[in-house]
Formats: sequence, C-alpha cells, structure tokens
Amino acid sequence: MVKNKQIKDLKLTPEQIDVLKEFGNIGSGNAITALSDLLNDTVNVSLTALNLCAFWKIPDLFEDPNIEVFGIYTEILDNPDLSIIQFFTKESIINLINILNEFNNSNSSEIKNIRDLNEFSYSIISEIGNLLAGHYASALADLLSIKLVPSVPKVALDNLTAMLNGVIAKYSQFADYSIIIDTKLQGKAINLNGIICLLPSINILNKLFKIVNLKFNLNL
Amino acid sequence: MVNKIKSYGKIDEIDRNGEIFLPIGHYTLINCKNKPNNTNPKISIYGLGSCIALILFDCKNKVSGMSHILLPKAQKNKKIEYPHKYADLSVKLLVHELVKHGAMKENIKGIIIGGSKIFDLDENFMGIDNIQAIKLELAKLNINILKEHVGGKEGRAVIFDTKNFTVLVKLTSETSFTRLQ
Repeated sequence: MVKNKQIKDLKLTPEQIDVLKEFGNIGSGNAITALSDLLNDTVNVSLTALNLCAFWKIPDLFEDPNIEVFGIYTEILDNPDLSIIQFFTKESIINLINILNEFNNSNSSEIKNIRDLNEFSYSIISEIGNLLAGHYASALADLLSIKLVPSVPKVALDNLTAMLNGVIAKYSQFADYSIIIDTKLQGKAINLNGIICLLPSINILNKLFKIVNLKFNLNL
Repeated sequence: MVNKIKSYGKIDEIDRNGEIFLPIGHYTLINCKNKPNNTNPKISIYGLGSCIALILFDCKNKVSGMSHILLPKAQKNKKIEYPHKYADLSVKLLVHELVKHGAMKENIKGIIIGGSKIFDLDENFMGIDNIQAIKLELAKLNINILKEHVGGKEGRAVIFDTKNFTVLVKLTSETSFTRLQ
C-alpha cells in the first residue's frame, strides 16, 4: 500500500531507467504479440519510453492530450501500486471490432460510427483490453517472480486528460512525481493506433529494483 | 496557518488568444480593476475528469481566481509544494489571495465544475469526495456556491471569462460549449 510519506526529490540512475524500460518492453512486447496473433497482422511497436515527471505534466506527455479516445483501465488486484491504462483512437476501435466480427462470421452489421457501438462492442473492447493487460502483467510477473492478476478492465470513451485525472489522483496523494512507462503500437495493414502505459507508484520501485538486485535508496 | 504556506503554482502565462491554461494543482488570479477590458483573459481547462475547477470571484471589485483541484484533503505535517492540488488548502488560499488583491470577503461567490466518475470503479470516488470537501470548506467560510456543474460520468471542458464572470462548459460528448446558467 501507499506509504504515508512525501517524496522530496526523486532521481533515477541510467541503470535504473534501463531496468524500468525493460519491464515495459517485455510487458508490452508480450501484449502486442498476443494482439498481432489475434488479428493476423503485423503490429509495429515504438521503443518504450520512460517518463518521470511532476503529476501535472503527465497529460503533456501525450501528443494530443485533449483528443477523445477510448481508455481501458486495469488495476492489479492485491497490488494497488501498479496499474495499466491503454488508449486507442476511435477509428482503431471501430476497425478492431469490425475485423473481429468478420472472423466470427457474426451477423452484426458493420460499424461505421461510434454511435453504432452497442453493449456487445463494449464487451469486445473490454476483452481486447483484458488480453493486452493480461499478457503485459503475466510477462512482468514471470520476470519478477511475483503474482500479478489484472482486474476486469473498465472502458470509457472520453477526453484523454480527463481519463488520466483519476489515475493521477490515485498516485499523487503522497508524491508530486509520477512514473509512466509507455509503448505506442501501430497496425501495419489495418488502421490501428494505440498506446499502452504502465504506471508504477513510486513506492513499488524499491521492491522492483530489489528483485533485479539493483540498489535503490528512495529518498523518502 | 494560511500565511505560512507559500502559494506555489501560480500561472500567469497568457497565450496569443488571451487564454490561460490551468494545469492540475495550479491556480491563477486576475485583478481587472485597473486594467482596460481587452486584457481580461479567459481561464480554461480542457480535460476535467475527477478533478474540480474552483472559481471564486468578487464582481464588484472585479477580482477573480480559479484553481484546478485534484484531491480532497492534504496530509498533515508534510511539506506541500502544490497546495492547490488539495481542496481544503486551495479554498483557503484562493480566498486569502482574492482578499489580498482587493476583494471583499462578503462579496466572494463560488462556482464549482467537475468531479465526474469516468471509469466505473467502486473505489474511484475521488470526484465525489472532492465535491464534498470543497462544499464543506466553502460553507466554513460562508461563501455561497452560485452555480455548479458536477458529478456524472463524463469529462468536461471549462472556459471562465474574467471580463463578465460567465462560465462556458462542454461535456466531452457535446460538440459546443454552453453557458452555465
């Protein structure tokens, strides 16, 4: 759980940054392989970026922080210091649902607009979120030999910054800094644009670095 | 107690269109009394989820302030760098600043916007907590809430015009701003 301490200053060595980036790489790599298997298409991945910044700067890390996108939020059960949030553009989600409907030979008509989305479509979005977050978490869990079980994903279509508000609030009661490890993904043949972010709280860093035998003295 | 906390996180930057963008945990204060009308900027927040935009103003003395609040309550006995992150501190500080810039405490009116619950999580009540905390603090200082646009499941965008003290609000699913009545 979050400790009752305030962070004064947080500095990471290049080695620690590499380790955290690697966590992100391994997690997102697994997640995206799963997605690419599901869609039978190549999915391109950007290099994982690690950002350590003040809580109020987080929205600025995104290219267009006030765009309306789909957000899929997953928490790790029994481990409130980790959460995964994924963002997909509206077009990507419409594409994904149409493709998955085709595979299914389902009779549902093609979705052209976000207004056409029904409960079943939202369930598909949630399932995609579950697939990605599940693979991400299980890869991390294997690497760290800890148990990470993602919660049922929550889906919303809203302003990106507005969706981030709740997540920022969760982590910034005791710290003014946040870490965000993000990987962009892009479909090759199908139009797919998204971003997967892993948000570890500052408090879990000690634990993470200890597992990989890195010394880290958090200045709490 | 209020005097001891330094007011960090003031935003004074006005962009080319005469707007001030207010990030989380920051505040701004506009004193229009001695300025010609065309320098009255608009204060805006374009992604408001569980956060709250607190607007306090005195229309007689033409002083107004706005803060972007993230959390309901500050931890005690901690060094706080961004006091406007917390509802309890932000209300006190903003009132204090307004009075310092010539507002009469009796004339100050409040408007609160935000506090939605976007992801349907059981424990994600931050928005509701924020609304309650702000209302409680305002009641303690005898400040009336003139208008409010709070709760719900959708994000909002807010523009506050410091010239005539009107507020424009837009829910994410809406296409245009409407004036808050």
